Amino acid sequence: MMRTVEVLIIIIIITGAFIASSQFAVLPWPRQISPINLRRLALTTLQILDSNYDLSRAAFDLGNDTLWDGLHVALSAALPPNVLYNLTIYEVNTSNPQGATLYNSLRSISNAENLGVTSDVSSYLATSSNVTFNVTPERIGEHSGDGTLYILNCSDTNSWWTAGYTSSSLATDLYNLLSPFFVNTIFVQNTSQLGQLLNGTALSGETFKNAVVVNTFGEAVPIPDGYYSSTGVGYDSPNNSYALYCYTLGQKVLQYNWTWVSIVGYPLYYVGNTAKFSNDQNGWGIYGIKQVGPAALNAFLQGLDNQTYTFSSTSITGNPSGVMYLSPQAVENCNYYGIYPAPYQTASRSLPTSIITKYHLNVTTKIFDTVDNWNPGAVYRHEITVNGTKFFKGGFLALGVTRTPDIRLTALGLLSDYKPRNYASDYTEYGVSRLVILQLGLLGGV
Amino acid sequence: MASASVDHMVSITIFLAAILLFSNIFSQTIQTAVIYQQHRSIATKCSAVLDSLLLNPGNPEYWALEDSTPSTFGLQDPEFKQYHLNPFALMRLMPANDNPVYYPQLNTTYSNITRGFGQSLFMPYNKLVNYSTASMLLGLNNTYGFSLTLTPIVSVNIAEVEPEQPDQLKLRILVVGAGFPLAGAPLNYCFFMVTGRAQGSYPAYSIKYNATFTDDAGVAYVVFNDFDRQSSFLFMAYAHLGGLTGIGYYGDVTYRESFVIPFISNFETGEVILAHSWDVHAGDNPAEIAFNATFVLLNTDYTFREMPLDNVTGKVVGKLNYGQDPQHAYANLTINTNSSGILIVTYSKSAKDTGVVIMPWGISSLAFPVTFGGDPSNQEWVATDIRQVTVNEIAYQAKLSLWSLEGSQVIG
Repeated sequence: MMRTVEVLIIIIIITGAFIASSQFAVLPWPRQISPINLRRLALTTLQILDSNYDLSRAAFDLGNDTLWDGLHVALSAALPPNVLYNLTIYEVNTSNPQGATLYNSLRSISNAENLGVTSDVSSYLATSSNVTFNVTPERIGEHSGDGTLYILNCSDTNSWWTAGYTSSSLATDLYNLLSPFFVNTIFVQNTSQLGQLLNGTALSGETFKNAVVVNTFGEAVPIPDGYYSSTGVGYDSPNNSYALYCYTLGQKVLQYNWTWVSIVGYPLYYVGNTAKFSNDQNGWGIYGIKQVGPAALNAFLQGLDNQTYTFSSTSITGNPSGVMYLSPQAVENCNYYGIYPAPYQTASRSLPTSIITKYHLNVTTKIFDTVDNWNPGAVYRHEITVNGTKFFKGGFLALGVTRTPDIRLTALGLLSDYKPRNYASDYTEYGVSRLVILQLGLLGGV
Repeated sequence: MASASVDHMVSITIFLAAILLFSNIFSQTIQTAVIYQQHRSIATKCSAVLDSLLLNPGNPEYWALEDSTPSTFGLQDPEFKQYHLNPFALMRLMPANDNPVYYPQLNTTYSNITRGFGQSLFMPYNKLVNYSTASMLLGLNNTYGFSLTLTPIVSVNIAEVEPEQPDQLKLRILVVGAGFPLAGAPLNYCFFMVTGRAQGSYPAYSIKYNATFTDDAGVAYVVFNDFDRQSSFLFMAYAHLGGLTGIGYYGDVTYRESFVIPFISNFETGEVILAHSWDVHAGDNPAEIAFNATFVLLNTDYTFREMPLDNVTGKVVGKLNYGQDPQHAYANLTINTNSSGILIVTYSKSAKDTGVVIMPWGISSLAFPVTFGGDPSNQEWVATDIRQVTVNEIAYQAKLSLWSLEGSQVIG
């Protein structure tokens, strides 16, 4: 009998232990097990309310009942019917004397006396509309580590077909337009520096491969004295022509995967070096420039396509009749990048579409619409095949428009091709800020 | 001695029975806690997957406008931060519970989202991202199932009501949000009226813009005087208040026996095919129809702006006949923009027999809803989570339902 009594005592002890432990082992409410993430819902609701800055406006216009009524209606409409809310605007006391509160409640709207047994909050910093609105451009190459823009601004070269502008002013304008979009923007200040680049040496530690090189000298191209203008490298002595330099240039564009940019007219029609050609003029009285003619572009394209150099003085550009219109893509990008050149222009040095197949090119961006097998302005990418896989290597932006040049077209063409994004910053945090707290709760029981 | 043995036996029996009983009670409590923990884990996963979908543009970032399958799946608009979704990425999701259509002239099947007569979005099946691909890219395959729905927060419901004068068209516009009518909301609208021309000529259209406000009940009335009852028309209204924007549309056509069906052909190039309805749905009394297509964008001031299609005039006209060979069965046009907008195609058989069809370019431009993923209805335990998102200015509510495919018990 005694053992049975002992067992009963043990059972009582175990029961006591079970009851006692059950007090601690409390299972959560079903709503806590699979909750709606009210914190995220609150945050996304605040973001929606401020998507047109209405919330920020209301936060700084507390006496405007019309604005606040609209905000109240929008908040009620945005949330599901079973969600309770309380939205409160606080002023942040930045000059906080000792003992003063950090936040002052300014105005509040709610649809309930209290927010039930479970609620959560999110905060949002609204900034006065008086502060500056910022757009931060994505920089070309910021992810890949390249993204260099070279602007040829050689002091020892004269330009041609840039009437009304100097190459220096064009370079400056281009810098202002494009430098925010590139990791590095470097002026190539003389032909020696250009030679250094062609040798594969960076000018100031930048990544020179995959760069964009803009020739601001119109139909003339700077040529370094020495190696790159020597016989067999830059000078074709049998034909008495510097077309070979353009061929070498094309090869370098291919080798370094550059994008060569011609801003106006017939690309590379002249070579320029004021020291080397001090006694030569281009036929129109501009000294320091020597005419190469149509052979230059043919040679450049041969070099770009890694073909054997063959001297050809056949002109390949054309003059489609009438005016050329910006392509829809370019028109759209005018709005996106805020660059507005004239939407149409004559283009008497348009390139033929036949070069696409002849030199293995792809038109990746049309700046102007194609007209009768002529491309007045386009970005061409050279296609190569390695082990059966096709790549682009080397590029060429050619604007065959008639002078005077509009450097905005060059900027628009490059941006349309690289497509860097503009990050519009939602009201920057400089200046006066107010804290918006949205607390959400759910109707019903547990 | 015998009494002591009996005492021992009885006590041991009672002890064992008690131990058995208590272990059972304890194990039930522990089992419940374990299942609760599993459910909690699914809910946490649901929230994480939803954010992963909405806060990541995928890779490549502009995959939606390329005809390739992404290597990383995400729906965020790469041009924005936070919960801004890409209207084209949503367009490339294969709708759940789809009712596909087959176009024999191109031997192609198209997914079908239809909101009413002439308000459809048809996309080629082979260029859509399906549920299994998305599951795989999200790392959920064979572990979790999910269903993603995006519903416009603001509904703009438009209905025709009896006018005061017989030559009037009176429309009632009710604007409601998820939980409340949108009272005092500005309402910008566009009235698109088709003018028929003689047989063989292309239809013309006129566009009127105006604005009004909703009343305290979220209702507005719009009256058009001198309305020709024999005309086809389309009415589109944008309501916006406090960051919430919604769109509604209503139209009527005088001729439905033959109409134009726009099929998206290529997302990358923006190529759209205009097909004759008889070649898709068959029907009675088919006829040749002429069409006139235009593309409009929504401006930031809630007005519309026409965009060129594939020529400088911005208008594409042509004729479609039924039962033609594939070379002559359809017309092509190209939407040359990465901005979302609305393709509006007017058509006519004669001066009186006219109509208009619309197609969104980017899912949000006509506030089409999205349902993507598996069917949660037969699952034992489904966790859900919601976010408020914007898709090209239109406010949507994104809801993700997630369940375990590895078995999950339910208490009770």
